Amino acid sequence: MYESFFQEEFSSTIDAMGEVLNRAVQALIQQGCIPADREPCARLCLEEALVNAVEHGNLADPVRKVRVELASDDEGCRIRVYDEGNGFHPDKVKDPDPEQLGGRGICLIRHYMTDVEYLAEKHCLQMTLPCMPVE
Amino acid sequence: MSGSKEPLLDFEVIGRVTLATIRASSVLSASNVADFGVELLDYIDAHPGLALVINFENVDYLSSSVLTELLRVNKKINEVKGRLHLCAVSKTIREIFSITNLDRVFILHEDGREAGVRRMERSLDIAASEAAWEEPKSS
Repeated sequence: MYESFFQEEFSSTIDAMGEVLNRAVQALIQQGCIPADREPCARLCLEEALVNAVEHGNLADPVRKVRVELASDDEGCRIRVYDEGNGFHPDKVKDPDPEQLGGRGICLIRHYMTDVEYLAEKHCLQMTLPCMPVE
Repeated sequence: MSGSKEPLLDFEVIGRVTLATIRASSVLSASNVADFGVELLDYIDAHPGLALVINFENVDYLSSSVLTELLRVNKKINEVKGRLHLCAVSKTIREIFSITNLDRVFILHEDGREAGVRRMERSLDIAASEAAWEEPKSS
């Protein structure tokens, strides 16, 4: 059973996103979900998911909101990022060609996270950060 | 780059090589990353044939937006017949390049700034040596 430990909502701007990202990463550390040396990977995946929601989901429209929820159980931390866009299928996003400029965010999320899926009925990207106990 | 903003990189000319040190990880945050790219592109535009080493010693992670900017920089460097190396690349950052297959596009070194500059110097020497052995074109 997942226990929620962080929820925040923000307008779809990159500046607002940056502040929430910092607080969410701190919450992951305080909750014991990640050891300090794995913080960059967790921050990376959260940032990719939030930027995706702001820019592709909500088309950077500040009226539209993004919400991030973190919840944990013994297996890991469930991350949900809600937007107000049309959704997408993470499984159908192909790994980009080396020369292609964009499209690497989902590729990175798929590497570090498990159970990556977009829940269309909830308008949210859900992923799990596997348990990485602090030594 | 827009007028009064603090520079995001420190550029040092060391012999034939320009070392661009990213000042902090925050330079590569989502709100700064476009300016980071513009600062590099402006510098490259002003210095054709540049041998550029970007120093990542102050950086502990980077996002896909940064990779996009680095690809733009790489394209521009190739257009102006320059060279690009990345130095002081940590294990975490190398992994990000590897996951996205960009370790095949960029020349990455774990060594710090001095070794990074030396490697670029060596690369320039080899290129000059190879050019000297090219067959002369018939007129």
